[in-house]
Amino acid sequence: MKRAPAAVFFQLPLAALFFALPLVAHVGSPDVFYEGDAGPYHLLVTIRPPQVIPGVAQIEIRSASRDVQQVRIVPLRLTGPGAKNAPVPDVADRSHDDPQFYTGALWLMNTGAWQVRVQADGAQGPGMLSVPVPAAALLVLPMQKGLGVGLAVLGLVLFIGMVSIIGAASREAQLEPGKEPDAPHIRRSRIAMGATAVILLGTLWLGATWWGSEAGANEKRIFKPLQLKATVENGDRLALQLNDPGWLNRRTDDLLPDHNHLMHLYVIRIPAMDLVWHLHPERTGGDTFAQSLPSMSAGRYALYGDVVHENGFSETATGEIELPAINGQPLQGDDAGGAAAPVAKADYNSVVAPLSDGYRMVWERGPMPYRARQPYEFRFRVEDSQGRPAEGMELYMGMQGHAAFVRTDRSVFAHVHPSGSVPMAALGLIADSNPHAGHNMMHGEPPAEVSFPWGFPKPGEYRIFVQVKRAGKVETGIFDARVEN
Amino acid sequence: MIGVHWDISWHRSIGRDSFWTPAHLAIQLCGILAGISGGYLILATTFADQSPLRAASVRIWGFRGPLGAFIAAWGGIAMIASAPFDNWWHNAYGLDVKILSPPHMVLAAGILAVHVGALILILGYMNRATGEEKPRLRALFLYVGGMILVVLTVLELELTSRAVMHSAVFYRVVATVAPLVLAAVARASRYKWAATWVAGVYSLFVLLISWILPLFPAVPKLGPVLYPVTQFTPPEFPMLLIVPALALDLLWQRTARWGAWKQSVVSGVVFLATFVAVQWPFANFLNSPAARNWFFGTIYFGYNTSPLSLYAKYQFIPADATADFWREMVIALVLSVLLIRLAFACGDRLQRIQR
Repeated sequence: MKRAPAAVFFQLPLAALFFALPLVAHVGSPDVFYEGDAGPYHLLVTIRPPQVIPGVAQIEIRSASRDVQQVRIVPLRLTGPGAKNAPVPDVADRSHDDPQFYTGALWLMNTGAWQVRVQADGAQGPGMLSVPVPAAALLVLPMQKGLGVGLAVLGLVLFIGMVSIIGAASREAQLEPGKEPDAPHIRRSRIAMGATAVILLGTLWLGATWWGSEAGANEKRIFKPLQLKATVENGDRLALQLNDPGWLNRRTDDLLPDHNHLMHLYVIRIPAMDLVWHLHPERTGGDTFAQSLPSMSAGRYALYGDVVHENGFSETATGEIELPAINGQPLQGDDAGGAAAPVAKADYNSVVAPLSDGYRMVWERGPMPYRARQPYEFRFRVEDSQGRPAEGMELYMGMQGHAAFVRTDRSVFAHVHPSGSVPMAALGLIADSNPHAGHNMMHGEPPAEVSFPWGFPKPGEYRIFVQVKRAGKVETGIFDARVEN
Repeated sequence: MIGVHWDISWHRSIGRDSFWTPAHLAIQLCGILAGISGGYLILATTFADQSPLRAASVRIWGFRGPLGAFIAAWGGIAMIASAPFDNWWHNAYGLDVKILSPPHMVLAAGILAVHVGALILILGYMNRATGEEKPRLRALFLYVGGMILVVLTVLELELTSRAVMHSAVFYRVVATVAPLVLAAVARASRYKWAATWVAGVYSLFVLLISWILPLFPAVPKLGPVLYPVTQFTPPEFPMLLIVPALALDLLWQRTARWGAWKQSVVSGVVFLATFVAVQWPFANFLNSPAARNWFFGTIYFGYNTSPLSLYAKYQFIPADATADFWREMVIALVLSVLLIRLAFACGDRLQRIQR
């Protein structure tokens, strides 16, 4: 039985849970993290999708409530006929060591947008929540050497065996019992064995061709993210085009708005990662977008554009652009930006990031090192210059905060919100089972704390951009983390 | 073959669960039993000096045994070898929801070899037997021949649903296996109703499977569930191969003195003509409300059958273009003729099997 990591889930206040739900975005971070309520029970759900489709998704569920007695899990399509009829749910295994931790495994049979429905039963009655999961083949697993050798030996035995059987059949099978084969029979047997070997080799060649054809067809099913082609027009206008490198029958003009934005674009200067913007380009055509740029320093920038397709499948389009110094427009609406020291000078022990007006953001990270593939709750608080909880906090695009986790080699990018890495637009498609999906449930001023459930997919060095809104201004706190295996 | 049909039904009603499903175990147990049985016969013949089979055995790699035992053992090894290959295939490509895949073909080759091994083992005894023993062995021989037809038609399941029975491709697909098996077994057995018996075994086996499986409850464990399922989903009603088989038996009884090629050409025409004549209108019946009952089984669907599919709507795929239809039909006819001629050649050789 697996035991939950010693992370600090639910030992922290979880006010963030009652805020609007997020959109998903990820590069190199396929695992889905979602924190929400199944009726009266508060759950953190981690879904590790399979790398091949059909394949098995691993499910981990931690309950904040001690009175949950049973958790059942079931996969359904997010939309369409497959979303109506649920298969029989599996009962998740309860950890003997940690009775609030459950695990299970579910088959995802097709590529596309799925949901994992979680049904919790306990002292307070039943409750249910659904978590959107994008399923796509990511790679082809190579054959292990031992298995390859074993199969090759078996294949050789079968090959030689069949040649020998045909030889024996030609040489002796038609002889009267007790009679020895004569020279013509032996000669005929050798010819038959040679012919059999040729036929078998031909069959193997055909089989290998078929195998190659199947592998090629599978290659086409492996997920290829959208690409962002970017140019600058008229000095400060960023023109973007979504390019599909060719993956199944995906469209680029079927995007759903998420908090009124079709695309959430992170622009990060590379390799220093010292400048970041969180922008929201407007669509100008079917697959084209435009954004008025703020004033920006010259340099090369990485682009991460989060989008959600109409079937609930979410992805991050990526690109790069070389920019001259831009004398642009002031940031408007939900657009925001921030700056920090280059990652080459990162302080991996620092837990404080300066904000404007003497305010600061503090990362409550604890003394334990972070490890890859473990779910954590990343908690931050905003203080004034006297160390008091900040006042005047506001919702930023309907939520308490946004965070982007970026590995310094850019192999990982994840756009996370207080309820995890799930796209709000996808949640909206299953709103029947999540009646509060996408709704801000908080009344009054948000607290000066925000937390994000997520897990690093692999070891390495990461930069974390955390954005909150206070006194009408979006503030960006930037932190660095070193993650162990 | 019970395991194979059970497994296919499992995938259509419950979905893939694990390698260790009872249906998978039944299939692999068949391979293990075939391997053990063949191995025992070989070892007993090789190492027991007084073995009655020793004189009627062949030699391979220093071992002695009946030819059929070696073939069955080969089939058992192939079946067992297919298991890790298939498991890796699922892990690497995730491609599982179809019958025609390379590892499944290795499994099919193994199952076929087990049946052919049994067939030749029986044939060796039958050709040496005299008196009352011979009809009993012949009945066994025809039963195994019928099971070979079951094996080969299972491989074609994805291409022979009732939705395609008005397409020429359906008849071409059937023509690649049925005439070969019917003619080879009939020729080897030298029994005048052999083809009818073989097709009868196939029909009875598929009928029993299609009637028994739905008696057991099953619910999907996988999504997407496009069609609610409450019981094991059976195979479709067997193809009416019994009619062309009967026609071929009658033909062969009257053309025994003909040359093999002449007989093959007429047999090919008779097979295809009678099969089209009965299966085409029967397909209309299967798609009609009158067939929507447990007997004909068109009330059953797999959980992943789209309600919007032509199959679920009891419709045929769009008709072939005229030129395509006749081209496929000509290919079906040529295949029938050539495979029957090949079957005659094989059957003649099988008649002389002694060991």
